[in-house]
Amino acid sequence: MTAQILDGIVFGLQLGLLASGLTLVYGLGGVLNLAYGQMAVISAMVVLFAMDAGISLWPAVGLGLLAGGLLGLFLDLTILRPVYRLRGEARVLLSLLLTLGVAFIVDGFLNWRFPLNSLSLHVGGGAVEIFGVPMRRGSLVASAITLVAFAALFVFFRYTTLGRAVRSVIEDEEGARLVGIDPRRMLRLILVLSGVLAAVVAMTRSMVAPVDVQSGFSITVFALIVTVVGGLGSVPGALLAGVILGIVNSIAATHIGTFLSLIILLGAAAVTILIRPSGLLGVKE
Amino acid sequence: MSDRGDRFTRATGTSVIGGAEEHQSRSLRSLLVPIALVAVALALVPLWLGDSGVMMGVAVLGLTFACYAVGFNVIFGSTGQLFLCVGALAGIGGYGGAVLADTVGLPIILSILLATLAASLTGGLLSWVAVRRSLGVIFTGIVTLIFALSFENLLLGLGEVTGGDAGFVIQSGADTFLRENIPPYYLMLAVVVLFLGVYGLLRRSHFGWAFRALRDDEVAAELAGVDVARYRVYAALIGSAMLGMAGATYAFTEGRISPTTFGFAEVDVVVIVMLAFGGIGTLLGPILGAVTFTIVDEVLIEFGQLKLVVYGTLVVLLFLFLPRGVIPTLGSFFEKRRDRPEENRAPTPEA
Repeated sequence: MTAQILDGIVFGLQLGLLASGLTLVYGLGGVLNLAYGQMAVISAMVVLFAMDAGISLWPAVGLGLLAGGLLGLFLDLTILRPVYRLRGEARVLLSLLLTLGVAFIVDGFLNWRFPLNSLSLHVGGGAVEIFGVPMRRGSLVASAITLVAFAALFVFFRYTTLGRAVRSVIEDEEGARLVGIDPRRMLRLILVLSGVLAAVVAMTRSMVAPVDVQSGFSITVFALIVTVVGGLGSVPGALLAGVILGIVNSIAATHIGTFLSLIILLGAAAVTILIRPSGLLGVKE
Repeated sequence: MSDRGDRFTRATGTSVIGGAEEHQSRSLRSLLVPIALVAVALALVPLWLGDSGVMMGVAVLGLTFACYAVGFNVIFGSTGQLFLCVGALAGIGGYGGAVLADTVGLPIILSILLATLAASLTGGLLSWVAVRRSLGVIFTGIVTLIFALSFENLLLGLGEVTGGDAGFVIQSGADTFLRENIPPYYLMLAVVVLFLGVYGLLRRSHFGWAFRALRDDEVAAELAGVDVARYRVYAALIGSAMLGMAGATYAFTEGRISPTTFGFAEVDVVVIVMLAFGGIGTLLGPILGAVTFTIVDEVLIEFGQLKLVVYGTLVVLLFLFLPRGVIPTLGSFFEKRRDRPEENRAPTPEA
């Protein structure tokens, strides 16, 4: 049981960071990015190609992060422009449909051109014992990176002017506008940030399990489930929900089987929407 | 708001979907003539493709998608409920019918009817929950998407009943007209015509008025005494019954179904593209979309995975440049020529 809980926490931290990117974009701009998982996959493939081309690990990782950020910028500058002209649910709906289209373009292209590619970053060294459970070093490094990323997010939103400006837009867009904050620029920044987060998760995930070309849609679904349970727009909610669902998933997968454990996660999201639509830590509208 | 944005809000927005059928006359002939024309045109297809078993299979699948698109139109186009479980509801029909006929041993007709009922009640339940919890378009979309993904996983997980990944081979009806070359096509065409008739009559009845009222302005409709919640659930019951019946009928003509027959990517996405192309909320838009994309699909078949790229590109382009779909765009083009200036539409309130 301890082993499954620890595995669940490793997975859950990654889920939380993954959902943070999706939930921030939604909370800030009312944009539901269904091409999010594909952003992660593309970043992973950039790292893979860079390393195949003989570039060493760290510059390759840097390129992967850059690719994630650029993808966010690209979405912001191209297909999301007409989305920003709309408001409310019409905006969410158009963003959802357009990014779904983008997701299919990316999936189709990658599956056609590189169907067998997958990224695995190997972390050397033997297992480390934690609470009497031998843990792979890759899982620990991945979790450490994820925690550092969370800490960076926390510092950014809490202590920097820019981060506070972003939060002010999430809380009250009109008010933010009145004090001279441009919500469009904040949204662009957050889309870039979400791309980088997707890239980070793709890379830390690849230390635990291979990230293949086909995984885009399932990454998006996981991020969506965690986002819904945690509360739209809430990073702490994403962290909490990620860890809880990670543990649930790990235990259920061992005892019930993979197919049904996914149903349990999906059910958790459905129940959350029905009982508490604002999520665990979301802001009530 | 810009003109572009406004048009989109009309096309796919929350309470303001469609906006295509304002000036319809109330005579029954204006309903029957288009449906009859479509029926006759589609009835001629076997004369052209009837020799090829493969092509007739494609044509039957195309008609099935036309049925799905009409059903989805009743739910989404009429009452703005984003049901992302078209495939799953059709799958309840398909798998339900197959299990009832093969495993339980009921007659095929009864199996189809019971499976249709099951799909209808499931869709009605989803809608009832969404209405009771007053979920918006997006949460309705997420909940139904969750339902669709759970259903797919359930099909895979319950391998002993459903055949899992390998699929379910249906024995019932194996040596009847259902597996011949041309009869299944006319059976499916009959279902399409039935659905079009039901949808057309719905649009002209007090249902239609209520649908339009609550689509244009939900609050105003509510104030005017339209029971918004009730009409939403009715639309979901009727639309889901169509999805279930189409899925079940298709299953018996095809003889083999698998989770991908009713998958999200394989059904829902395609139906949304078809409907967006033809025109959400229009009577014949689903048919135009289904015919067009069945042909597109055949043309693209040799491209394999690239087909997905084409579909994705079409989704993006359609929603960027033709958000109302072909039929409404053409309609307003001719209308504009007839009576300009085009000031005949009330401004749409922002959502």
